[in-house]
Amino acid sequence: MPEIILKNVTKRFGKFVAVDNLDLYIADRSFITLLGPSGCGKTTTLRMIAGLETPTEGEILIDGETVFSAEKGINVPPNKRDVGFLFQNYALWPHMTVYQNIAFGLENLKWEKKKIKSRVEEMLALLKIEQFVKRYPSELSGGQQQRVAIARTLAPSPKVLFMDEPLSNLDAKLRQEMRTELKRLHSDTNSTFVYVTHDQLEAMTLSTQVCLMNNGLLQQYDPPLKIYGGPANLFVAEFVGNPTMNFIPADVVKLEGNRVELTMLGKKALFQARDNVENLGEKAVLGVRPEFLPIQDGGAVKGHVYSTLPTGMETTVKVTCGDTMLTSVVFGNVDYPVDMPISLSANGDQLMLFDQQSGNAVGQGSLTIMD
Amino acid sequence: MKRFLSLALALLMVLCLVPAAMAESVADLAKAAESMTHEELVEKALAEEGTFVVYGNTSRIVTAAENFSALYGIAFEGSNLKDAEIYTKLSTEIEGKSKGADMVMIQDGASLQSIAIANGYLVNFVPASVKANVAEADQNPLIQQFINKTFIWNNKGENVPAITNVWQLTEPQFKGNIVFKSPDAEQVNMNFLVMLTNEEWSGKLATAYKNLYGKEIDLGEYPNAGYKWIAEFLGNCVFGNSDTTLAEEVSQETAQGKIGLFVLSKLRSSSVLTENLTVGQYQAAETGVAIEPFSGFMYPMYAMLSSNASRPYTAMLFIEYLMGADGFKPWGKSIGAYSGNAEIAPLEGDLPLADWKASLVMEDPAYILANYEDVYFFVNMFLQ
Amino acid sequence: MLNPFSARQRARVRAFFGKPANIILVAFCAVLSVLTLYPLILLLLETVTVHAGKEVTSIKLPRGSFTLYSLKNIFATSRFNYSQLTFYQPLFNTLAVALTASLIAILFGGGVAWLITRTNLKCKKFISSVFVFPYIMPAWTLATFWATFFKNVNVGAGTSNGIMAAVFGIYMPEWFVYGYFPISLVLGLHYAPFAYILIGGILRNMDANLEEAATILKTRRWRMMMRITLPIVKPALLSTLLLVFSSAMSAYSVPIFLGSPVRYYVLSTKMMSLINNFPGQGYIIAAVMIIFGVSILAVNQKITGSRKSYTTVTGKSSQISLVNLRGGNWPIAIILTVLMILVAVVPLITFALESVIIKAGDYSLSNMTLDFWIGRNLNYLDQGDSTGILLSAKVLKALGYSLLLAITCSVVAGTSGVLVGYGIVKRRGSKLSTLVSNLSFFPYLMPSLAFGAIYLAMSTRVPGLQGFAVLALIGSVKYLPFASRSGVNAMLQLSGEIEEAAVIVGVPWYKRMIRILFPIQKSSFLSGYLLPMVSCMRELSLFVLLVPTSNTLLTTMLMQYSEKGWAQFGNAINLMIIIVVLLVNFLVNKVTGASIDKGVGG
Repeated sequence: MPEIILKNVTKRFGKFVAVDNLDLYIADRSFITLLGPSGCGKTTTLRMIAGLETPTEGEILIDGETVFSAEKGINVPPNKRDVGFLFQNYALWPHMTVYQNIAFGLENLKWEKKKIKSRVEEMLALLKIEQFVKRYPSELSGGQQQRVAIARTLAPSPKVLFMDEPLSNLDAKLRQEMRTELKRLHSDTNSTFVYVTHDQLEAMTLSTQVCLMNNGLLQQYDPPLKIYGGPANLFVAEFVGNPTMNFIPADVVKLEGNRVELTMLGKKALFQARDNVENLGEKAVLGVRPEFLPIQDGGAVKGHVYSTLPTGMETTVKVTCGDTMLTSVVFGNVDYPVDMPISLSANGDQLMLFDQQSGNAVGQGSLTIMD
Repeated sequence: MKRFLSLALALLMVLCLVPAAMAESVADLAKAAESMTHEELVEKALAEEGTFVVYGNTSRIVTAAENFSALYGIAFEGSNLKDAEIYTKLSTEIEGKSKGADMVMIQDGASLQSIAIANGYLVNFVPASVKANVAEADQNPLIQQFINKTFIWNNKGENVPAITNVWQLTEPQFKGNIVFKSPDAEQVNMNFLVMLTNEEWSGKLATAYKNLYGKEIDLGEYPNAGYKWIAEFLGNCVFGNSDTTLAEEVSQETAQGKIGLFVLSKLRSSSVLTENLTVGQYQAAETGVAIEPFSGFMYPMYAMLSSNASRPYTAMLFIEYLMGADGFKPWGKSIGAYSGNAEIAPLEGDLPLADWKASLVMEDPAYILANYEDVYFFVNMFLQ
Repeated sequence: MLNPFSARQRARVRAFFGKPANIILVAFCAVLSVLTLYPLILLLLETVTVHAGKEVTSIKLPRGSFTLYSLKNIFATSRFNYSQLTFYQPLFNTLAVALTASLIAILFGGGVAWLITRTNLKCKKFISSVFVFPYIMPAWTLATFWATFFKNVNVGAGTSNGIMAAVFGIYMPEWFVYGYFPISLVLGLHYAPFAYILIGGILRNMDANLEEAATILKTRRWRMMMRITLPIVKPALLSTLLLVFSSAMSAYSVPIFLGSPVRYYVLSTKMMSLINNFPGQGYIIAAVMIIFGVSILAVNQKITGSRKSYTTVTGKSSQISLVNLRGGNWPIAIILTVLMILVAVVPLITFALESVIIKAGDYSLSNMTLDFWIGRNLNYLDQGDSTGILLSAKVLKALGYSLLLAITCSVVAGTSGVLVGYGIVKRRGSKLSTLVSNLSFFPYLMPSLAFGAIYLAMSTRVPGLQGFAVLALIGSVKYLPFASRSGVNAMLQLSGEIEEAAVIVGVPWYKRMIRILFPIQKSSFLSGYLLPMVSCMRELSLFVLLVPTSNTLLTTMLMQYSEKGWAQFGNAINLMIIIVVLLVNFLVNKVTGASIDKGVGG
């Protein structure tokens, strides 16, 4: 059962720490995304698991077997780890035809000719690229190249499939299409997928677990909805979700168990958390997803419309409230005149409270605005 | 077991003895062979194996080797290299103990002494059959032939530079009209200049000056008349890189008024228009008015064995051959080459060796070596 | 306690050597240290050693002893103005010639590069293909052509007229025929293609958006040139300047042909004349030249180090707006074409002509013969050889030997270049990679003649390193810089993923090289084979001391012939070398797509 375990994995390039003491458990047949801004160490992590990069410290196990251990001096080469790797730029070999690209790896694994042929044909059919078999990569479109690359990666039936931003070079429509295909492939192939992306939407839609990283440090490792609904810190809260979460600075007036009295937007408010609030300093940041800040007549927060951004299915409304710009999402297509006075209310019990100093989430709950 | 051991020891001893026996030096062999007859040499030479390798800084050595090879059926490789290159090669090959030449024919007596003989790279050999015909002084190192560089001028037009005294060449009208291979490019030219600074030649130059201008020479800063002449002569010279080219160029119709100091034998080349040239010493022989105090210079071409020769007897046989009439043929068919063997007369039309020796500056390796740096530094001023 | 190293350290070492790039770098680091640094140390030792011959008699110390005498002689002897004349004046001449040559190369090469890439010039194809000729041909080609064409009775040895004076009756002044001016010009023209390739490469890859943006902002042409185009190519310009400068500095054949008739010495020619009489002094000059070279390399690295940050090579924008030369188009095209014909074609015709006339200076038909090419029994000419060069066993043997050497060096240097390029690019940024990169460039800075002299000294200490072996070794080392440069360029254009995609499926390293990397960058890699081959064919000073007596190279034979004054055979052999070189270049280019510009291209 190909589960992947990373223990205290660290990678340094000279003085630069690319990945810092990472622990990760990737369950069998899961679809994990490594998410984060560029330079956060996600690609390095992926390459370390695949064996393309050697960690400085730590231990990596695939399927119960230690494939790397700095302590014991173990380093299993990539081809012995039974993994597939899909590269960002496809890395198709330009001097080989589609057939040769797919077959080359299999030939190298000393498969029989017949078996290779049937496997290649199977892959071509799976990815619907039979008609291109004799073409060279330069004669294919980006999407077709991507399919060939996937076919090549899947051909040896790896237990684990690694993908490094495989869709970043495709246009929006193709990307959407390929996402659907990838998710389908995941369930068809019965293997574990580890996927690197900087696109949070991709991470949300594809994966069973998201591993969000920043500056080489693991920020949060949870299912997508958990990441979205209960971000562990300000970084996660800001990185995930579009439009971005509203961050409202607040002064902590009084803290009693799970009740926090705040001053924000010139008003007093009471935050009622589910659990006891701990590690909160004098200054807090209230995080409210736009969908929890609906426009409501008589809402407690008063402001003016700054601009309206309709997308068809929903409309994003930007509202200025004193010095603070707030974002609200309204279902359907509405258009508000600029500068129209408007009121908002903070709904639901999924509002987040962060400590400003540490940026960590200290509580989740609901808010009551007084007067 | 014991017997086996002693057998092995005995074998080892024999193996040690063999190279010791073989290691008899070329010098010893040459010494022993000096009393051998021609037939004995031939027998020994034909018993040797491998290719016979000859280095020479004359192009005609290859022709001579070809004839020699045809005569005895010995395969050879002949290389015509510059003298400096030969000295470099000899030292690297012999010091590096790699196969090189068997026999070398080379000029520049000073380097021969200080590089090749001082370090034992070359070994002298005088064949018994010619010993009687070679002057005592020319036997060690053995001189195969003499070569002369002499004043030769273009005889066309009004202003024929028919000089009778070398001091004329230092006069302003000769500026840019004298061609001479750069002393930097050929050692024998440098050696000639060094020789002019010795007592004999500086004295003769001082006398010649007086004879020409009727007054004592004013040396100024110069140490002697030799230095003064060198300075003023080189100041008027243009330097070439090849005597053949110089001969060719002076012989052009357009080269009126030009005079050169180059190898006489270059007149053999088809590209030299000999009818346009006058050889100073030939004219002197006709008119009886010689160029004062010299009409050029002469240097020996030595023939020696290489101390790492793998065919030492073949090399000795070849030296004997070169000293004979047949071996000298490639040079003897044109003017400007004079065998070290007194039996072989110069080509008809050329002057006897003794006449040349009397009117040319000869090399003295010991003097050259002792004064080389001084004169080199001095000459260097006029090469810029 | 049996093993002092922990499992961790051992694993680290194993991991390090598990990467082929590291093995390559370590191996080349070791080999190149021996082949470049060891000779350098030997050379430095030679500068303080007493040598056989005149040094022994002048210094009055035994051979091999330590001495500072040569250093004193070269740097601080005022007697007969010796140091000034032997060192300082030639040094000044060297710098003057090298600087002028690099400026000419940049102005001419860079100018033509701009015309070709950025304007609507006519005859682009002809000009650009012929423009690299002078770089492919031996440098002495133009030099000897210059001398034979312009010489006249008023200058230098001044005994015969060249074509210009004989046919057109025009007598050029001495400064024009010999010395500083023609040496600089000929070297400048020889290296102009180098500038053309480097600067053209940058101009071609430069994102035209940068210029387009300026055009939209209504910037005037010259202003755009000064403020946008020039700053962008400036690093390439400087880099070219330094590379040409260091090449021109160690050039030997051009100053010997065009300088010596008027006693104009540069360091390289002075070194050559000293090395026979006073080797210690000769080696000191060589060391000075190397010091200059190394400093230039250091400066160059500093400049190219910051280059990446400036040049945007996106290759996206394909529509470069070409400058319309309007009325100037045809005149410029015609001038360039004529110039190209003069520089690249006329010399060949001249050599052909000079190789068929019997008596120099007479260009009438009655004075012509093909004997020097295909004649037999030519002893009547007394020009060293008795058969025409195409029938002469000696010449054909030398041709074969030259080709064999060129092919060997090309295979060794080219393959090493591919490997070094792979290692350097894979480990880019690491100290080891930088070290190997520098080591592999170092031979470029070694003056050929001094390098040859040291290898000669080395060959006496290493058994078996004689004859062909030492020639092949020195040729491979000397031309490695070209090969490793194209290797690095080729590898830089390949994304690492291409190789990793094969690593993942367990393709072994050698197979990745042969089946994946090499085929993809075939033409770039092969260019790394071409340049050493072409250079080897025309090389003289590097090999001259090492050539075995039993086998001559075409070039050493040519030198011998020209020294003996056998002009016709010399010219014929010269033409033969040039034709062989051009032919090789043309064939390789047609068959594989490799070309000199890809090899040099930055």
